[in-house]
Amino acid sequence: MGDGSGSNRSNSNKPEWLQQYDLIGKIGEGTYGLVFLARIKSQTNRGKSIAIKKFKQSKDGDGVSPTAIREIMLLREITHENVVKLVNVHINHTDMSLYLAFDYAEHDLYEIIRHHRDKVNQPINQYTVKSLLWQLLNGLNYLHSNWIIHRDLKPSNILVMGEGEEHGFVKIADFGLARIYQAPLKPLSDNGVVVTIWYRAPELLLGAKHYTSAVDMWAVGCIFAELLTLKPLFQGAEVKATPNPFQLDQLDKIFKVLGHPTLEKWPSLANLPHWQQDTQHIQGHKYENANLYSVVHLSPKSPAYDLLSKMLEYDPRKRITAVQALEHEYFKIEPQPGRNALVPCQPGETFVNYPTRPVDTTTDFEGTTSMQPSQPVSSGAAVSGSMAGGHVSNRSVPRPMNVGGMQRIPHQTMQAYNVTSQAGISGGMNPGGIPMQRGVPQQQLRRKDQMSMPGYPPQQKSRRI
Amino acid sequence: MADFQTSTHRAKWIFSPQQLVEKYRAANQRAKQILEKCGSTLMEVDVDGSLSYPEPRMTEKDNAEKHSRAKPISIEEEQCIRVFYENKLQEVCNNFRFPHKIQATALIYFKRFYLQWSVMEHQPKHIMLTCIYAACKIEENHVSAEELGKGISQDHQMILNYEMIVYQSLEFDLIVYAPYRSVEGFINDMEEFCNAGDDQLEMLKTLQDTARFEVDKMMLTDAPLLFPPGQLALAALRTSNALHKVIDFDSYLRGIFSHQNSMHTISELSESLNAIDSWVSKYRSPSDKELKHIDRKLRPCWGHSSHDEGKKREKKSKHKSKKSSNEAQNMPSLG
Repeated sequence: MGDGSGSNRSNSNKPEWLQQYDLIGKIGEGTYGLVFLARIKSQTNRGKSIAIKKFKQSKDGDGVSPTAIREIMLLREITHENVVKLVNVHINHTDMSLYLAFDYAEHDLYEIIRHHRDKVNQPINQYTVKSLLWQLLNGLNYLHSNWIIHRDLKPSNILVMGEGEEHGFVKIADFGLARIYQAPLKPLSDNGVVVTIWYRAPELLLGAKHYTSAVDMWAVGCIFAELLTLKPLFQGAEVKATPNPFQLDQLDKIFKVLGHPTLEKWPSLANLPHWQQDTQHIQGHKYENANLYSVVHLSPKSPAYDLLSKMLEYDPRKRITAVQALEHEYFKIEPQPGRNALVPCQPGETFVNYPTRPVDTTTDFEGTTSMQPSQPVSSGAAVSGSMAGGHVSNRSVPRPMNVGGMQRIPHQTMQAYNVTSQAGISGGMNPGGIPMQRGVPQQQLRRKDQMSMPGYPPQQKSRRI
Repeated sequence: MADFQTSTHRAKWIFSPQQLVEKYRAANQRAKQILEKCGSTLMEVDVDGSLSYPEPRMTEKDNAEKHSRAKPISIEEEQCIRVFYENKLQEVCNNFRFPHKIQATALIYFKRFYLQWSVMEHQPKHIMLTCIYAACKIEENHVSAEELGKGISQDHQMILNYEMIVYQSLEFDLIVYAPYRSVEGFINDMEEFCNAGDDQLEMLKTLQDTARFEVDKMMLTDAPLLFPPGQLALAALRTSNALHKVIDFDSYLRGIFSHQNSMHTISELSESLNAIDSWVSKYRSPSDKELKHIDRKLRPCWGHSSHDEGKKREKKSKHKSKKSSNEAQNMPSLG
């Protein structure tokens, strides 16, 4: 892993690793850096989609990004079908930035939930909810039994594979904040990373210093509820201050739904700093009645409700563990969870075609964008008929909404198209390894033409169109 | 911690003695060839962060001149240099009062790094510091490169230059298992095994302290590249127990085998423990004289003229306080 260790590469100015891929565009952005979609060029695995996560260089004088290093070191040790797979690590020596290459997942829970809420206007079907939850727990159980706490589970970090061998498989991603139990665990704020508070466990909100795997189970409970209702369960307003401010509103949102925690039910509550310090705020006005079941529209007697309430147990010591949750009755009754969470096994059942990820094709690996604003991507299912006609192959070009169950075109077709168009435009020369597509405005192409990694020789004039 | 059984440590970084010899030989061989071709062997970290060997010599004269000076060092001499810097590494970590875990991680990084490279190619002083820096980062005991550099009067930029190369040479397998934690685990187990009362607990504490000291010694040998941490810990505890006579060690071992579905037999284990012991007893620090001799050979390999360096050093020590001349002793001529 990691290219070029030991080889003498002073004579080669272009990063060799970049040439292994066709860069499609930017698909995400976070505090750590950017995520790109690319395709493998080599014969084996040709056309395979890869997500490339570029880590920003950390603060001056701090060397290689600790977040990146931590994510790599954990992912090197773990393999599980419900955990994202790190396929390669690339280094851009010029600025000491790291590029992590993962198997690409077309969907994530954030987008799936949003699609149902904003586009489909109906809940996610029961089979899908149950399968997603089961696989999430399955991956989490693996992590916890390897003494790894994720610490930042939220819908956007739970990926779901698109069409292919692993269609509908859940993949837990983003291990930048993950920790091994025995390592001294510092408060999140020490990392200078802002994590959304909506999925944060009450013991952490109340100032607990020690993380346990139970914090991940609380987040799973929140995600379960969100899959059912399409709304974040506890949508508190975040207090923005450093370090680690007290999040009263978030706690209030939790108390409103679950009722006030009591020392009787949660004895170690008395030892939590904020519980002691902010007595008048927290213990001031009380919500007596728990109404979780009505918020999630479940019968209090249903197995789904029983499981959810066990995940949202206040006392982390009593909270259900991943392994216990997998054994819960909810997963034993119909519909039973399946491996392809998006497509039920029973024929005739309806399923939703989820949109592919929007890709910003105007951003290169350096993270710089062209003057051309990113073209809007219509959500709607993958590929429409016009594509089959060879009209466009670029995903950034607006597509008509999918009308009912149109199947996607297999990758091979797109790939073949890609190859010819590349050869056609660049005369077979494309040293940057950047796919060139027909039907893309000139401005954009020119931008790509200039795309350079520092230390790159200026590209051949013959490429200008 | 993640499971050792499925770890990269177990899968990729435990070798047979033959494999180790082969790796040391290959690195040494490569450096010798480079020396032949280029007149020196030290790899440069280029402006863009990539690595390169020195330019091949151009003229015959140049060739003859340098050839007369730079002689490669042998595999055994490389070993002496590594041992010297591994001792330094422990010293630096002790001075910073880093936990054992960090020291052990840094030592294992250092050992793994020099499985891929010859000391003729990368200066061990730089690699040693970079390994400590990396270990701190991994074990969440973050120390800035600047702080680390300052603490030992070294330029911290060099640490940052080498950081990525170290990760790369470690193939990004950064979680390592040191025997210290295993020692703790076995001690806990022994408490149960002998149903320890207060005075026995005290004895076990002594047993543990001596065992940790034994592990410190093992960490300076090749044993961590040859045996899993659990076996290293047991060997350390056995040695410690031979001194303190706290428990019946053989029956303790038999106990382990009875409640664990082990893949090994007890005689295989004893064999490993004996082998570990012999690595420790074989261990020997090179003498100052030997080190000086090797250093004199190494300098030209790194493209340093030993003459110039000597002058600089003289100048330096004249201007610096007593404290820094002590530092210079800590980091003797092998700069």
